[in-house]
Amino acid sequence: MSDEKPGHLTTALALAVVVFLQVPVIVVVLAAFSRTAYLTIPPQGLTFAWFGKVLSDPDYLDAIRLSLILAVGSTVLSLGLGIAAAYALFRRLVPASEAITSFLMAPLVFPSVVIGVALLQYYSLVGLRGSLAGLLVAHVVITVPYIVRAALASLSGLDMSVEEAARVLGADGVTAFRLVTLPLIKPGLVAGSLFAFITSLDNVPVTIFLLGARQQTLPVLIFTSVEHGVDPSVAAISTLLIAATGLALVLAERWTGFHRFV
Amino acid sequence: MVPTSFRDYLPGVGIVPGSWTIENYTRILTDDYYREVVWRTLGLGLAVTLLCLVLGYPLAYLIARGPARWRLPLILLVIFPMMLNLVVRSFGWIALLANRGLVNNLLVDLGLIAAPIKLMFNLTGLIIGLTHIYLPFMVLMLVAAIQNVPRDVEAAAATLRSTRLHVFASVTLPLTAPGILAGSILVFVLTISALVTPRMLGGPTYKVMATLIYDEYMQLLDRPSGSALAFALTLVAIAVIWLSSLITKRWAGMA
Repeated sequence: MSDEKPGHLTTALALAVVVFLQVPVIVVVLAAFSRTAYLTIPPQGLTFAWFGKVLSDPDYLDAIRLSLILAVGSTVLSLGLGIAAAYALFRRLVPASEAITSFLMAPLVFPSVVIGVALLQYYSLVGLRGSLAGLLVAHVVITVPYIVRAALASLSGLDMSVEEAARVLGADGVTAFRLVTLPLIKPGLVAGSLFAFITSLDNVPVTIFLLGARQQTLPVLIFTSVEHGVDPSVAAISTLLIAATGLALVLAERWTGFHRFV
Repeated sequence: MVPTSFRDYLPGVGIVPGSWTIENYTRILTDDYYREVVWRTLGLGLAVTLLCLVLGYPLAYLIARGPARWRLPLILLVIFPMMLNLVVRSFGWIALLANRGLVNNLLVDLGLIAAPIKLMFNLTGLIIGLTHIYLPFMVLMLVAAIQNVPRDVEAAAATLRSTRLHVFASVTLPLTAPGILAGSILVFVLTISALVTPRMLGGPTYKVMATLIYDEYMQLLDRPSGSALAFALTLVAIAVIWLSSLITKRWAGMA
């Protein structure tokens, strides 16, 4: 049966590709500890000074704060909206559920730049540009598909008769959902929330069009500061993001078997 | 957005209210510069898709068919870069590909090249960066596709004295074609609409459609022209997705 196993050549190629995927990450982390004021790899000497510089820079702190507010806010809002929408769609409580599903999923494949400029035009009309509410709405638009997708996938793997059993035993609809259905779809929702959170935290193409004159989110700040030249403080803040992402991924994998939901 | 794309734009004045023109669209098709950007975007999409496919298939095959204990670490190593901030990953590639970046320094030190070669602000840089960024999507799609191929079919072909390569070419590859198509469409659409990586690795002058839209809106403030481009980009994306669903249906009909 050895014929169906990957050969040495395939294995070597595949492992090379895995390394290729990690290279930029390794480079960024190494650059963050360099003593020199410009990027050098391998780093000259070892210092934590760039981390201190970044974490005491008010511009970066403001940007981190706004990014976290948006990511937490939009994930929570998307969770509420997404679960409700997925539940209604799954139980066919609304007409044309397939059309609505594909509409809710559209931001996954729709060019984000287009979403960005479309919202910019709309916000200029209604005067939302540069407001926190406007940014939050935009981030809900781009994060809600992840929640809906996760919730729909979890619901479809579920035996709905459990919920009906709870109803028969006297629970009202809300209680049955809260005590029976919700815990059962929780792993999927945790995975979806992580995706939503990271998508919000990562977003540039939509956000950059909607920011006000003095607003910056973290990725937009890194994005614009790279245009003016690269220095190790960008590498330092990037390293912090890499560490946070890695930690989140490991924790999510421990809790929910995250990779099953990708 | 669509109405704006038909408005006239006068530099320094702004959008002419009440005007109606299709010039913003005809310019995309006739103006040399715009045409160049559109072709570059589509070519980039094609190149990145093909590269992702060639690099992604062996990895996906190893994940799906390799030793079971490698599976989880490999999948996590694929997901990790995918979850990582786009700006951070592009920044990593700048450090690698710049004139005084790691790759050039290494090549010079090894004596393979005399002077640094230009790897950034051109097509090479964009292809490398975007391939890296969208490769995980392709790999995950292909893993799902390869897992759906029953091993018995391959084993049967092997019993019938097919060589390994032959089994792969005549059994595995055709059976994973829907997955290949789905992954390719996803990567292509994501690539042609990417803004961050082309901007960071292409700089302000080497443009693709998404970065041109960004500049028309934010730098030139020419919203009509920008929205015409945005609309054109949307049309391309929708056309590609529609075309792929047609192909999938035809395949389903054949089977």
